[in-house]
Amino acid sequence: MSQFRFVFVVLCFTAVLIFAVNLRSANDRIFYELCACNADMSRLKQELGTKQLLLEGLINPAAISQRVGESNTDNKN
Amino acid sequence: MVSFLALGGRCFYLQYYRNKHYSEACLIQQRSYRNLLPQRGVILDCRGRVLAASNGTQTIFADPQVIEDAKTTSSELAPIVDMGAHIICQLMLESSSPRFAPIKVGPSVEECAQARKIYGIGVQSDWQRHYPMGRLAANVVGFTGRDNRGLEGIELKYNKELSGSAARNILFADVRRRPIRAKQQDGVLTNGKGIILTIDATIQQFTRNELIKQYENYEAESAVAIVAEPKTGAILAMVSLPDFDPADFRTTDPNNFRSRAITDWYEPGSILKPVSAAIALEAGVVNKTEKIFCENGNYHGKGFGRIGEYRRGFGDLTVREILINSSNIGMAKIGQRLGKDRLYDGLKLFGFGRKTGIELPGEIDGLLMPAHTWTGYSVTRIPFGQEICVTSMQLVRAFCILANGGRLVRPFMVRAVVDNDGNITELKRPPPPVGYIVKPEVANWIVKEAMASVVNEGTGKRAKLDKWQVFGKTGTANIARSDSRGYSDRDYVASFIAGAPAEDPVIVVLVSIRKPNRSLGKGYEGGVVASPVAARIVEKTLTYLGVKPD
Repeated sequence: MSQFRFVFVVLCFTAVLIFAVNLRSANDRIFYELCACNADMSRLKQELGTKQLLLEGLINPAAISQRVGESNTDNKN
Repeated sequence: MVSFLALGGRCFYLQYYRNKHYSEACLIQQRSYRNLLPQRGVILDCRGRVLAASNGTQTIFADPQVIEDAKTTSSELAPIVDMGAHIICQLMLESSSPRFAPIKVGPSVEECAQARKIYGIGVQSDWQRHYPMGRLAANVVGFTGRDNRGLEGIELKYNKELSGSAARNILFADVRRRPIRAKQQDGVLTNGKGIILTIDATIQQFTRNELIKQYENYEAESAVAIVAEPKTGAILAMVSLPDFDPADFRTTDPNNFRSRAITDWYEPGSILKPVSAAIALEAGVVNKTEKIFCENGNYHGKGFGRIGEYRRGFGDLTVREILINSSNIGMAKIGQRLGKDRLYDGLKLFGFGRKTGIELPGEIDGLLMPAHTWTGYSVTRIPFGQEICVTSMQLVRAFCILANGGRLVRPFMVRAVVDNDGNITELKRPPPPVGYIVKPEVANWIVKEAMASVVNEGTGKRAKLDKWQVFGKTGTANIARSDSRGYSDRDYVASFIAGAPAEDPVIVVLVSIRKPNRSLGKGYEGGVVASPVAARIVEKTLTYLGVKPD
């Protein structure tokens, strides 16, 4: 019986040590995940910005005027 | 025991004598620096359309200094970025910077992730400036250089507001260089502020379309067109040709960068006559009904030489008829009645000889010599636009003053400055009108009677519109010879200033085309070259703004 208790205590102690180590580095892990999420968000914002600029490039007066001009030229040909 | 003592001694040595060395090595190993570059502010037109904006971009680069074998690294990188290995190798070897050889700009996320794994290859994030409208407002917006600093136009003038401020994060990193803890931040990252202009991209577009057609048709040296609101001074469009593509400025002639509406001066010629006439009426030296004898086309005298007319001579003309027929002799006599002091003071009040203060770099004052230097020639020539040099913007200001009942107005181009949340931090309200340059009845008569008659009966007939009463004045100014005295008889500046509706002007438009090619046989006068362009711009602008026909 005392043997089982000894093994149980050793297991509990090991578990506590592992948990303590994990807890100790939790702050660093969370910080890294935060940085990774910020980087992802920047990337998504960048992709959104690219799409917005693409849209602006298609619907601005200069682009529309150019397409109308090309369309008129095609019709004449 | 000896071993134990040796170990103890070694520990003491490392901890005491080598403490600083290993502390520094530890900090270098642990620290990671991240430069935070601010996003440059946007430039928008008055309706919120993007004229200039920055977006993030990545660049896969090589560090030639740490790469031992460029060929091997190129071969590894080639399939990732889908480029030839020999091209990558060439980029590495021919890079001007020993630590940075750009390989690919704008790679995908997967390409970046794969490329990073190769030793000596990195990924740099930066902001890239985009100009969705290209050439459309290039002379107004300007462009930025490699370091994202403004070099021309609004980009230069408002560089401080647009730039924002950078910061630097110092972090602790693990052995795989992943950030695990923040240490400190140097500076506060602030993105640039946005600038909202008074320019309307739609009006800018059809102004440019009309101007470029005529500019190419007449093989002119340069051309300028400005559309302004006379009541506020807001500039709705400003086109300067030849222009450039701001995304490709490095291959452009630098002469094309400038905005000729404010950097180039010229002798305006007959287009200045309504201003001189307004000054004379305000001073009371002439009235609207009296007739002035115009010497049948040949006027000469001591102290002022000989003055002729462009075409035929005239007899007795009223002020209105002098403007309709654009009589030089009529204006010369008006100038003589005014005298140099009153004429000079009047022109200064109208803003000639000084900058308008428009928010663009490079504006010049024009040239209005002090009155004490004037001769008999000056007082007879200046009223019809010689011996005075003006910029197009100064002309627009003067006619905005006439068009809004004689009240002072200052042209402006920036409507507001906004922060990153869209809140207005600075609203550029035009200053309230503080006084009259000329009496309202004088200004109104010049616009509604005299200048409207120029379009209905005189030299500006090609500017007539069916839906609105247009007022205007032509100008065909000789260009002074650069190699000798006198004026060239081949080179002219053809101008037309117009506005509508005459009853309550909503816009003032100036078109000025320099050196139309006379040898084409299509004409060169302001009434032929510039007035049709101004008419089309007026018509399209008023239709776009929803102004009801007269």
